[in-house]
Amino acid sequence: MASITLTVNGATRTVEAAADAPLLYVLRNQLGLSGPKLGCEMAQCGACAVLADGEEIRSCVTRAANVAGRSIVTIEGLAAVWAEQRGLDATEAAATLHPIQQAWIDVQVPQCGYCQSGMMIAAADLLERNPTPTEADIREAFSNTPPSPHLCRCGMYPAIIEAVQRAARAMAD
Amino acid sequence: MDSPTLTRRTFVKTGGALIVTLSLPAWAVRGAAAAAAGNSLDPTVLASWLEIRADGTVVVRTGRAEMGVGMSAYYAQMVAEELDVRPESIQLVMGHTDETPDGGWSADFLTGAENLRKVAAYTRGALLGLAAERLGAPESALAVTDGVVSGGGGRVSYVELVAGQQLELTIPITGDLASVSADGTNIDNAFGLNVSGDPALKPVRDYKVIGRDFPMPGIPDQVTGRTVWIGDVRLPDMLHARMVRPATLGSTLVSVPELDRSRFPNAQIVTKNNLVAVVSPDEWEAVKAARAVQAETRWSSWEGLPGSDDVTAAYRTNTEPMAAGDADAVGAALAGAARTLEVTYSQQYVKHAPIGPYVAVADVGSDGTVTVHTHSANTQALRAHIAMMLETTTDKVIVRWHEGAGQYGRASLGGDGAEADAVILSQLLGKPVRVQWTLREDLAWSGASPGWVADLKAGLDAQGKLVAIQTDWYAPHQNDARMLGALLAGMPTIQPLAFVFPASFGFQPSPGGVGGDPPYAIPHQLHRAYSMQSLGQDAPSGVGLRGNIMRTPGHRQNVFALESLVNEAAAAAGADPIQYRMDHEPFPRLADLLQKTAAAAEWSPRPSPGPHARRTGSAPVSGRGIATVMRFGACWVGIAEVEVTPGSGQVRVTRFTLGVDPGKIINPRHLRRNMEGGIMMGLGEALKEEVVFDRGKVTSDNWRRYPIPTMADMPEIRLVQTSRDDAGFGGGGEAANTVPAPAIAAAVFDAIGVQPRRTPISAAYVRQLIEQA
Repeated sequence: MASITLTVNGATRTVEAAADAPLLYVLRNQLGLSGPKLGCEMAQCGACAVLADGEEIRSCVTRAANVAGRSIVTIEGLAAVWAEQRGLDATEAAATLHPIQQAWIDVQVPQCGYCQSGMMIAAADLLERNPTPTEADIREAFSNTPPSPHLCRCGMYPAIIEAVQRAARAMAD
Repeated sequence: MDSPTLTRRTFVKTGGALIVTLSLPAWAVRGAAAAAAGNSLDPTVLASWLEIRADGTVVVRTGRAEMGVGMSAYYAQMVAEELDVRPESIQLVMGHTDETPDGGWSADFLTGAENLRKVAAYTRGALLGLAAERLGAPESALAVTDGVVSGGGGRVSYVELVAGQQLELTIPITGDLASVSADGTNIDNAFGLNVSGDPALKPVRDYKVIGRDFPMPGIPDQVTGRTVWIGDVRLPDMLHARMVRPATLGSTLVSVPELDRSRFPNAQIVTKNNLVAVVSPDEWEAVKAARAVQAETRWSSWEGLPGSDDVTAAYRTNTEPMAAGDADAVGAALAGAARTLEVTYSQQYVKHAPIGPYVAVADVGSDGTVTVHTHSANTQALRAHIAMMLETTTDKVIVRWHEGAGQYGRASLGGDGAEADAVILSQLLGKPVRVQWTLREDLAWSGASPGWVADLKAGLDAQGKLVAIQTDWYAPHQNDARMLGALLAGMPTIQPLAFVFPASFGFQPSPGGVGGDPPYAIPHQLHRAYSMQSLGQDAPSGVGLRGNIMRTPGHRQNVFALESLVNEAAAAAGADPIQYRMDHEPFPRLADLLQKTAAAAEWSPRPSPGPHARRTGSAPVSGRGIATVMRFGACWVGIAEVEVTPGSGQVRVTRFTLGVDPGKIINPRHLRRNMEGGIMMGLGEALKEEVVFDRGKVTSDNWRRYPIPTMADMPEIRLVQTSRDDAGFGGGGEAANTVPAPAIAAAVFDAIGVQPRRTPISAAYVRQLIEQA
């Protein structure tokens, strides 16, 4: 076992975990963050995606020990990221979701919803790089960004495209 | 995590609503004795179904659960409409066997909704009676808006009417909860209890809530990470387990290695017969230890499967069909036909393939009580399965439902996922056990929708119209609900009879429930179904390739063959395929939808293949095709537009237009989601998906080997929704997935002039069609 210090959703947390423990297992079992989901455990589906310094990574194949020092964000921390970007005060922040989360609710994206944590993380990654993505940009980002496409077995791809563009507009306001 | 078991008495106490004693109408008496078994809520008691809380919240309880299709929105809309309250005030309790009264199959929304509508109507009637007394006005003079009754110059809310009282309203019930049939071959009452009687329901013209978009209540918690999914359930002292599966679907255990204590100090190997698992309080230790044990565990060899490349011959072992239709008349009509078609269609095994693999938590107490946490779509049936396996009674078993990855029908028969594994391990270890399957395990060991092959004959008269069809269907059955954990551990489990799941139930008279009669006027029809047990079921392990129902069972298979046959007949007759269907007197609602969907797709009539069809070149050639289905009171029409690259065989769907008439539309936006999702699932089966297996095991065991549609595969989508006030409610969640495969096959024919007759329509298969043409 090793002592690993992580920065997750803005807080510094130290956990005792195996040196080879995947970030996914540490987040879910030791830090109580169940937003990232266990899917394929081989970086083929995207359900476990989290942000590391604003970039999407797959937490199922990333050792927790390897992201010490990077800023990890799960969907539990998305609203705080937005509040900080916008300089919202505590009261406003408590009442405000990240525009991506709000768009996912407004558009009613999820069917079962299992993959959607990873989809929202992929959306955050894309909108960080490209604040005004076209439909073609979104298709490219969700289908052809390594290491794999983000898979939705319910087939909610049209709703995801709509929600990403809605979030982009809200973030530009 | 566990709340105390609620008996009816304490339940009513915690419910805290009020009592009005009503005299029972005569029709209610026959159902009054059918109380729920064991520890489920008494369905004859109103408070088991519905409570009005002091803050105006209406708690509604149903054994059905949200499977991702939107039921949690629709049930709220249904109850709110009948009760005349705001849908936002409805708080649903779903699935838990000890906190709901009725059980049933979650996919079967229509009967579940009928139950809750009636409960709401009975309640509204009782409340209006109370209000009439309070307001001194006759019930006929009362109106209700958002839970407030007005009339006789006064107003009173439902909350004020029931405050400080207990509403004792007897709900008339027929049927019973799920149980294993006496002969051990089936789950009886899988559809759950029914609320009986005939209370006055609100006329459709007065609907305010049904027919408008209402959100699924669980989404805000999902997108913020607050939902407690099945994978998030943790119990005190719980052990994490990973299973060590046999080398093949038929192997038995030879030897298990010693666990390396220096590497895995807290882990433990558990075996029972051929069931092998590794447990640890630390999940990652369990994963690593299981991988180490898997590598060193020895199994017997087994090669009892035919292999997926050459499987159709294996389906043709049964020579005694279930048959419907007049063989002599069909034979005579075929013999006298101006022209006949004889074609063979087939589909490969496909997987439900959820993004999240099976997971379950079980706690078997020393007193024999069992609590199982699951994402099953039929918790009462799962309860019956578990009780059978443990040779105990259902009242000892509680099943708690949690949200989970969509599974598209695979748990409708109760299991079969990680639940049996978790129960067996918990019983052996005396602690709560969480079993998480891996994706590889899920794709290789869960039940699959079986492949099939069918021989079809059609007779056309001199004008090209269909005068006779004959269909012969060969397939392993799709209700093999035997529990994997029980099979491997050598414990009791259901022994289903091999039969073909009725192929065209729900909409129109089905001749014997086999084969499937298309929704057109074809005078002479003969349908025969030849079924068999699961491939490899006679293996030493007893497991084999278990067949399981999947989204739209029956029609998911027969629509590909029947609609392809109609398309081929239209081409043979030189007719436009939509006009050809219109010429065969389709069901009137289907005829209307054909026209509307064709207009949305900008369809111009002409026969297939298209004027520019070709089988050479590296430039894509376009094609279009159509298919329909009718099921559970809903009509569907799909029009595919494709581009086929002859040189490579690549097929790309550029646009898909889907029309639906499900009777009265409850929620247009979530109906849209089901249509879009159905198109994507059907497109995946049409072009990509195929369970690949060798002589012993499934090898398509990750997302590269079992590819499902990505966003890049998504065509332009056009949707047509037709709502009818005079046709009741039909099934809108399910059947969209049936039409893409035959429509895409027809579009490929339109483009290259050769008809695909099996799925997946891979590039290699298209190249083969072109080379053989």
